[in-house]
Amino acid sequence: MTSLTENRKLDQGAENFFQVVHPLDDLPEQKLNTANLGPMSMTRSVRFSLLALRAYLVLMMLLVFYHVLGIAGVFGGR
Amino acid sequence: MNTILTNITAGEATPQVRMRVVRTKWAHSLLTFLMVCGPGLIVMEADNDAGAVSTYIQAGAQYGSSLLWLLVLLLPIAYFIQEMVVRLGIATGEGHAAMIYKRFGKWWGRFSLVDLQLVNFLTLVTEFAAIHLAFRTMCIPPQIGVPMAAIALIVLVVTGSYLRWERTVIFLCLLDLAWLFLAFRLRPPMAEIARGAAWPSLPAGGLTAGLVFLVIAIVGTTIAPWQLFFQQSCVADKRLRFSDLKWARLDTLIGACFTIVVAACMMLAGNASRANGLHFTDPAQLAADLGAVAGPAVRAGILLLMINAAVLGTTAISLSSAWAYGEVRGWPHSLQMPMREAPGFYAVYIGCIAAAAAIVLIPGAPLQLIIVSVQVLAGIMLPSAIIFLQLLLNDKELLGQEFCNKPWNNRVNWTIIVLLFVLSLVLAAQVVLPNLFPAG
Repeated sequence: MTSLTENRKLDQGAENFFQVVHPLDDLPEQKLNTANLGPMSMTRSVRFSLLALRAYLVLMMLLVFYHVLGIAGVFGGR
Repeated sequence: MNTILTNITAGEATPQVRMRVVRTKWAHSLLTFLMVCGPGLIVMEADNDAGAVSTYIQAGAQYGSSLLWLLVLLLPIAYFIQEMVVRLGIATGEGHAAMIYKRFGKWWGRFSLVDLQLVNFLTLVTEFAAIHLAFRTMCIPPQIGVPMAAIALIVLVVTGSYLRWERTVIFLCLLDLAWLFLAFRLRPPMAEIARGAAWPSLPAGGLTAGLVFLVIAIVGTTIAPWQLFFQQSCVADKRLRFSDLKWARLDTLIGACFTIVVAACMMLAGNASRANGLHFTDPAQLAADLGAVAGPAVRAGILLLMINAAVLGTTAISLSSAWAYGEVRGWPHSLQMPMREAPGFYAVYIGCIAAAAAIVLIPGAPLQLIIVSVQVLAGIMLPSAIIFLQLLLNDKELLGQEFCNKPWNNRVNWTIIVLLFVLSLVLAAQVVLPNLFPAG
């Protein structure tokens, strides 16, 4: 896969010239198409792992909340 | 070297392309690298933000140079993670938040976005808290210094030129070279440094709660979730091309090496305070104490570099928030656009900075609570963020064979993920069971 305006090497007579184009000055190149892909197809184990991750994150968030309340002195003893 | 404008035919259009002409191969390579360089260096150096300055200096003040090996270990980890982001950004031309939304659906998209915005905002408050602290130590009223810093950070971005922003930020990154001068000025013990960097070992005192927390903080501050979002969006905004991939990798590698060297110098500054029998409370206090021992240049240097670190962190983190929000909401989101063309994108950036600056000016704001929450939340978010990255980089439907992870990439990355999860679980265990490790 190459850029439309990939840095080029020109032969002009006996001399070599190299052209360099800044990415922001270059013509837009065709990227991989992501528009029509939709959600990723996953195996059952990946789907299960992501569910476990979701539960883990919710649990950890609750722990953080508990920890912050503790630091704030809501439970009195700490 | 000549600069010329030329017409390049692309279908029916014949737009003008500005290019530079050089005569030698090495000049061509060097110039191409200089043009591509930026996102990697910035993301890595901005990671040495105010929180990182505090963490590394504290590590040096408490444990000397005996944790330098951890930084050496974190160098390849930081590079491998960010390299994946570069590949994804160049291949798709889109940001990380957009990719998660598209490939994992709305729940994960919203969760990642909300979590990112929350952690980013809390981190921004800590950046401004550091600016507040540094100005106060320099006897400059924070009520003037903090708003001035906020205004400068906003002006830096709203000019509608990616290049202007990038060049200014690279200049600020290079100012961090002064950490090397400071570390050298503080006469570091070379033999001890070499031993601490090359030989992984526990500091005297063994495994204590304080050490565990500091190790997790060092890992969390060296590899942060916002970096994934920032670099991919930055690569997309800079419109890096497929042919730029090798130079973008080099940019990331140089950035990783630079950030680790600077982090080590911060640890050595902390080590100098330990060697002089000074007690560490915060980096600004340490600067004042070291100034009495090593001269006013060291004092002013550490305080100014602390502000520089906070400024770098603030612009990068706010941009990662603004890019992510713009991508998910479908708003125009580019530093190349003037404010009137991307109002939502700039509003998020300005809103984050203004609100964070305002919070630190409120007398009695719970800053300590915010700092602890940032560290814990970032520690929780990081492993899951990297799992998504890993899944995206194995998505052959999206990336094809060319840009997908190779088997060795996956082995390295899963090892990193397992390590981060273990640290995340240790952090959770320490929250639930505060006496799990001996106090120290």
